[in-house]
Amino acid sequence: MKKTVVLFIIAALVLITTGLWIFSGHSEIKPAELISLGVIALVVVFALFVGYKRLTSVKKGEPAEDEMSKKVMHKTSSMSYYISLYWWLALMYFSDKLKFETHTIIGAGILGMAVIFAVCWFVYNFIGDRNE
Amino acid sequence: MNNRIKELRARYNLTQEELAKKVNVRRETIVFLEKNKYNPSLKLAYDISRVFEVKIEDVFYFD
Repeated sequence: MKKTVVLFIIAALVLITTGLWIFSGHSEIKPAELISLGVIALVVVFALFVGYKRLTSVKKGEPAEDEMSKKVMHKTSSMSYYISLYWWLALMYFSDKLKFETHTIIGAGILGMAVIFAVCWFVYNFIGDRNE
Repeated sequence: MNNRIKELRARYNLTQEELAKKVNVRRETIVFLEKNKYNPSLKLAYDISRVFEVKIEDVFYFD
């Protein structure tokens, strides 16, 4: 239950921070910022979805997480870490070519990692874990 | 590894949700087990076989 609360708090914090960023002296949103906002929305929706799944399981009298969900999370973590290394490598390569600002690169790196994690989680939740 | 969970569950007239509660896992885990998309731990395999009052090898088997 604690983890579920943490998930909702993180989603709320991300939403509040994004709201503050949008409404504090931002006259117009650039196309590049729209992509960032889209990814932030994806991250929040993912956190809310996982939190909702955990809550419904508890309401049904089932555990919030069991051996399969833990295994899926472990596999997701290791695979997303592995892919993220290549993501950062690609960012480093393109940052030299396209002359991005440092904060843009770091932002893209973090957001990319979040998206990679979400995609891996969905993939492992679909294909399962036969471990054979 | 394959299993006969669906067949045994039907014999014992249990829903996926009821079996999940008996072995303390989420319903999704039972769904994945029945679709052969997940190989359970030894403890879960033992718990499931106890629910059906059979040996582990009568529930889980290799082709």
